[in-house]
Amino acid sequence: MEQMEQIKMGSGRWGWLLQAVSGILLVVLVGLHWVAQHFLAAGGLRTYADVAAYLRQPVIFGLEAAFLIVVTTHALLGVRAILLDLGLGPRADHVLRWALALVGAATVGYGLDLTLAVIR
Amino acid sequence: MKRWFDLRRRSAGLWAFRLHRLSGIGLVFYLYLHLAVLNQLRGGPGRWDAFVALARSPLFLALDVILLGGVLIHGLNGLRLTLLGFGRGLRWQKPLFWVGLTLSVVLMSWGAVAMFRR
Repeated sequence: MEQMEQIKMGSGRWGWLLQAVSGILLVVLVGLHWVAQHFLAAGGLRTYADVAAYLRQPVIFGLEAAFLIVVTTHALLGVRAILLDLGLGPRADHVLRWALALVGAATVGYGLDLTLAVIR
Repeated sequence: MKRWFDLRRRSAGLWAFRLHRLSGIGLVFYLYLHLAVLNQLRGGPGRWDAFVALARSPLFLALDVILLGGVLIHGLNGLRLTLLGFGRGLRWQKPLFWVGLTLSVVLMSWGAVAMFRR
């Protein structure tokens, strides 16, 4: 259990819980994304017209947007856990949380803007 | 820092922990690379379809197989860590690690065959 305690102490209980919940959601969302984008698409990847038609479906748009938000949250919480594991103090963690929130918002904003640009 | 990457004389649990962190770092790097590549969509059909033709090459497919392996190792070990974190399966933590690793190799091999056959 040494590694579990290391993880929980590193990222805090709430950080760890959010990481675990987003991780479980990701198993489902990554599976759907991978199968839809790489196994169901002819030749393994969609052409531009196919990507646009695929993303114009409201359910697909919702799933891809949810995937983007959850994967970004999980990834940045992971980055924070690793940095804390390397010995970052509480004050630096406060700055880090704000910095990662900004990076996360920018990432999601970029992804949604790109998606909307394709389906317009 | 040096100790963090030193994998010698570690238990299976710590091997799992380090493997989880290293695959996680790789996947974060890939996430941002993937988002940057998707920017090709802004160039319209000509630019995207040319990229798709390149991405269907054996080299890109081999990189996709490595990515699939990383996702499987990280995902299955993540489920194991979540179970342990909620106090479930504590007795089975080592066998669960090896089952996850074996399953990752099997599914990655299946995925590789499926991707190269398309």
